[in-house]
Amino acid sequence: MPGTYTQIATFEAVCADPYRIAREVAEQGRRVAGYMCTYTPEELFHAAGYFPVRILGRNSGGTNQADGHLPAYACGFLRSALDMALAGELDFLKLIVFSHTCDTMQNLADIWRQCVPGVAEVAITTPVVVGTGHAVVYFREEIARARRTLEQEAGRIPDGRILESIRLYDEHRALMQDLYALKRARPACLTGRQMMAAVLASFLMPREAHLPLIQGLLAELEAAPAEAGDDRPKVLVVGNMCQNLDYVTAIEDAGCLVLDEDLCSGSRAFAMEAQDMGGPLDRLARMYLVNTACPTKHQPGYNVGGALLKKAQAWHVNGVILLLTKFCEPWGFDYPCLKKMFEGAGIATLLVEVESHQPPGEQFRSRIAAFVEMLEAAP
Amino acid sequence: MSVEGESAAVYYAGIDVGAANTKGVIIDAEGALRGFAVLPSGVELASAARQAFEKALAVAGVAREEVGAIVSTGYGREIVPDKTKVVTEITCHGRGAIAQFPATRLVIDIGGQDSKAIGLGPSGAVRGFEMNDKCAAGTGRFLEVMARALQVGLDKMGPVALEAEEPATISSTCTVFAESEVISLLTQGVPISAIVAGLCNAVAERVHGLAARVGVQPEVTMTGGVSKNPAVVKAMERTLGISVNVPEEPLIAGALGAALIARDLGQQE
Repeated sequence: MPGTYTQIATFEAVCADPYRIAREVAEQGRRVAGYMCTYTPEELFHAAGYFPVRILGRNSGGTNQADGHLPAYACGFLRSALDMALAGELDFLKLIVFSHTCDTMQNLADIWRQCVPGVAEVAITTPVVVGTGHAVVYFREEIARARRTLEQEAGRIPDGRILESIRLYDEHRALMQDLYALKRARPACLTGRQMMAAVLASFLMPREAHLPLIQGLLAELEAAPAEAGDDRPKVLVVGNMCQNLDYVTAIEDAGCLVLDEDLCSGSRAFAMEAQDMGGPLDRLARMYLVNTACPTKHQPGYNVGGALLKKAQAWHVNGVILLLTKFCEPWGFDYPCLKKMFEGAGIATLLVEVESHQPPGEQFRSRIAAFVEMLEAAP
Repeated sequence: MSVEGESAAVYYAGIDVGAANTKGVIIDAEGALRGFAVLPSGVELASAARQAFEKALAVAGVAREEVGAIVSTGYGREIVPDKTKVVTEITCHGRGAIAQFPATRLVIDIGGQDSKAIGLGPSGAVRGFEMNDKCAAGTGRFLEVMARALQVGLDKMGPVALEAEEPATISSTCTVFAESEVISLLTQGVPISAIVAGLCNAVAERVHGLAARVGVQPEVTMTGGVSKNPAVVKAMERTLGISVNVPEEPLIAGALGAALIARDLGQQE
C-alpha cells in the first residue's frame, strides 16, 4: 500500500472541486484564461498575467444545453465543456484559448464566440504537420499573433517575462517527468489514482503552487522505503482524455496496476523538451511541436505506434488499455494501426470507448476485469 | 478427518447473476454436470443468487457442506453470498463453451442485456473480446420488447420466424425505433412471421459486427438465452457463413464455466 502524502490529499481535493481555485483567483483580481488542448503555449498567457486553467468538462451530469448546439456525435468532453460555459459555470474566465486540433474543437470556437458572452477569445492554429522548419515558423507567427491580441487586453508582455514563465514551466515539466519515472521504477509507490490526481491538479492550480508540492512529494517518495514487489499485471493506458479519477480507480480495482499513461490529459502535457536557443516565441514554437501521439498531428517519418510500442516494451507492460473518448474521430483512425502493432508484438490490447464526462459504468468494469483475467491467464 | 482413500465427495458451484436470469450450476470433482437451476433475477439479486444455488443443490442432491468452492459471475457477480472468487462472464462463457465444444475458437453469447463475442486461443484462453455498448439492440431484451409488441410468446419467436417465406428488413439499429418500424410494418400488412424473421436476422447481423472485430474462426459456439431461438442461430450461421454449435443448455454456459473455474481452485488447494 502506498503511504499517505499531504500533497496527494491536496491534489485529490483540487480534483474534487476542479474550478474552485480558478474562481478564487478571479475573485482576487487575477485574469483567468481557459484552455483545452495540451499544445496551448500556456507560458505566453502566464507571462501576460493570466492564470491558465485547463477546462476538462464535468465528471457527471447531462449536456442538455450544449446538445442544442453540438450534434450527438461530437465528443462528450467538448459537449460537457460547452455545457459548463452555457450554464455559467465558467463565468470566472476572462479569456478562452482554442487550439486548432480536431473538427469539433475548431467549430466549438465559433459556437463559443457566439453563445458565450463576455469572454475574449484567442484562437491559435497549431500546424497539422509538425516537426518541420516551416511548421515552427508558422507556429511562431501564430504565437506572435496571440501575443498581440493579449497585449491589447493586458498591456505589453516583455520577452523577459515570457522567458521567466518558460523557465517556471520547464522546471515543472522536468519534475513531472521525474515523478513519472519514479512511478515506473517503483510502481506501487503511488496508486494510479494518486498519480492521476497529481497530474490533473497541475492543470487546475497555478504552476507556481503545484511545483513545490511536486518537489515535496518527490522528496518524500524518495525517502520512503521501497515497496514490496507487486505481481499485478501492469498496464499502459493510451488514449485521449481521462479527467475523471474514478476511471483510474475502476481500472486498478479490476486487479491491475496502471504503470504509466500516454494521454492528452496526462503525460503528453509534460513531454515538451526545454529549449535554450532563440527568442521566447521561437522556443515556444519548437517546444510545443513535439513528436506526439495526438492523432490530429502528423510528423513525416515519425511512427506514433512504434514509439508507444517501444515504451510498452521497455517498461515490460503486460497489456495496453486504449481508453478512447467516444466519437474522437482522429483517434479512431489511429486505433487499428495501434492495435495491430501492439498485438503483433505480443502485447494484448483492450479498446474501451468511454463517455468520460460520465462516471464509469458496470460495462466498463466488466471489460477491464475480463481483460485483467485474460492477462493473468496469459503464459 | 478423512481416512486416506476415502475423501469426502466434493462438488463445485457456479452462480451467474445475469441481467435477466440467475443461473446456478453444480458439478462434481470430475467436472460432470450434476444439477442446475435458472430463475428470473428480479431486483433482489443476492436472494436470486441464493435461491439459484439452493435449487441447483437440491436438483443435484448435494448438501451445501459438500461444495468445495463457489465462483460467481454475471452483472451481479459481486453480490453473490459466500463466493470463493469472482470471475467475469467473458472468461466463464469461454470456459463453459470450451468444456462442451473443445474446438471452439469464437463464442457468441447473447444474453438478456448484452451480447459478446469472445475469441479463444488454441489452449482455450481468451485472446480478445467485444461487448455491445450502451445499446440493447442485438440482445435478448430487444427480442423481448418485440415479442411483447407483436404479442408472440418469447419462446415462440424462433418457430414463428422459421415459418416466414420472405423475412422483412428491419433497418433501425435502435430497439425503440425498431419497435416503431415493426408497428409500421404491421400497418402495411406484412405477416407477423416475416417481421419476426426480420428481427431475428437483425439480432444476428448486429452481433456479427462484434464477432468480426474479434475475428471469426471455426468452431463457433453460441451461448446465452437467445441461442435457444433457432431462427437467430440459423441467421447467425447464414451471416457468418459457417455452422454454429449450440449447447443443450445454452443459458447455463456461463455458470458452468464458473463452476469449472471453482473446481480448478478447489483442486489447486
